Amino acid sequence: MLHLAPVRLLRQSLLLLRSELRQELRDLELVVTSTFFTLVVLGMFYLSFAALEKKHTLPAVPGLLWLTVAFVGSITLTRAFDREREADTLRALLAAPVERLAIYVAKAGSTLLVLLVCCALLVPGLAAMFPAGQAFWDMPLETAALVVLGCLGYVAIGTLFAAGLAGGGGKNMLLAVILYPVTTPVLMFALVTTRALLDKNPNLPSLLGQMAALDVILLGVGALLFEPVLVGAAPARTAQAARQHRRDLARAAGREEPR
Amino acid sequence: MSGARQPITPIVLRSISQRFGRKVVLRGVDLELRARSITGLVGANGAGKTTLFLILAGLLQPDGGERRYGERVVADIDLELRARLAYVAHAPQLYPGLGARANLELFAELRRAAGLSSRPADDVLRGLGLPAEALDRPVSTFSRGMAQRVALARAVAGDPELLLLDEPFTALDARGRAQLAGALLAERDRGAAILLSSHDQGTLLRVCDRLVLLEAGAIVREVERGGDDPAGFAARASEVLGAVGLDDHAAA
Repeated sequence: MLHLAPVRLLRQSLLLLRSELRQELRDLELVVTSTFFTLVVLGMFYLSFAALEKKHTLPAVPGLLWLTVAFVGSITLTRAFDREREADTLRALLAAPVERLAIYVAKAGSTLLVLLVCCALLVPGLAAMFPAGQAFWDMPLETAALVVLGCLGYVAIGTLFAAGLAGGGGKNMLLAVILYPVTTPVLMFALVTTRALLDKNPNLPSLLGQMAALDVILLGVGALLFEPVLVGAAPARTAQAARQHRRDLARAAGREEPR
Repeated sequence: MSGARQPITPIVLRSISQRFGRKVVLRGVDLELRARSITGLVGANGAGKTTLFLILAGLLQPDGGERRYGERVVADIDLELRARLAYVAHAPQLYPGLGARANLELFAELRRAAGLSSRPADDVLRGLGLPAEALDRPVSTFSRGMAQRVALARAVAGDPELLLLDEPFTALDARGRAQLAGALLAERDRGAAILLSSHDQGTLLRVCDRLVLLEAGAIVREVERGGDDPAGFAARASEVLGAVGLDDHAAA
């Protein structure tokens, strides 16, 4: 007896996320690559901008934060689906009795965790290096919300396109080309909100609320399109097939279904 | 959940067509797969065999035609159907960093999370001739033949009603082919409908109840094993297999 869809989705998402994390913990490929990249970028930012006055670094810090997230996200998403591409395991999952949304949730979840690990280095690093980043220390909850919401939005849409390319045998280079334009809105929104946080702007809660709303929309789009992107949409004759199905069942039950 | 207890066999494809861009890959394929029967799908490379497998497994939406699984005409191969079919692709599709047992257990856990049963991984793997010492070794260290056995074990662990096998004998030695053929016959006797593509003429002749020849995206010939004329089947099947120039492993 099949469990109800929400129960299946929750359980299978957790199982797949656990499997992703186990594989990552075994070879630490994504975490090491991403954290190393983050530290290098932080070092480069420090050497380039540390001598600037606070008023000059204030507009720069949000850009530094989200530019790094964009690059780390691109690296992470590319490698996350390379595992599936190399062994073609994505198809095995798609053919199995697995909620396809669970694959999306697990991939997005593991990518989000890697991004958050990087942000755990990046945000304190920026706060320590630049006086303009002091607000990150002063408002830790708002900073955490900002980082989580920004990364979640990026991952929600990025995972969809990364999966589409992996499933269709697309090239990694193509992912970078597609990823930056489609994630630009969420990154711009995060940038504006970060500036508001650093300025201690009273509109910050409202901006965070709007970011959360954008994330909900992006997650909805990702969840809705994930299966069609990987397998293709059901043909337009779905309704016709459903009518035929009902007629077949009625015939099997010994009664005539009205046409 | 309608039809959950209805068998999904026979599986009937009607006028299935598929094109990729300008290239027409399948042209109005009609095919029926019955329970307790192994159907061999043969054809030259590029004839459309893998595309047909993908459509049956729900990994590709056909451009046209109808798929019927038992009483159900389906537009989407949903989870309920996927729970009752299994697909083994040309590549084993295993997580290379995981062991054979871990690969099977991951999919068994996913089945259980959906409320479905699965046979114990060790039993299935040993039944297909995987040595005990190999159960926990990473699959990346396996030969192609061993990996293929793990992929087949994963497929049969859920006792599927429809088993789709796209060139499962690739890279298997004679002993491996014989073991795999035995496993397929056991699955057939359990009641499964099996669609099998292979370039191994000997094994096809030995296990198949029916052979279907796919040429340029269309089924052009079918040969069925009659109860009282095994020699006639072998002769007609050899004609079909000869038409596509398959490898002769008849001694196997």
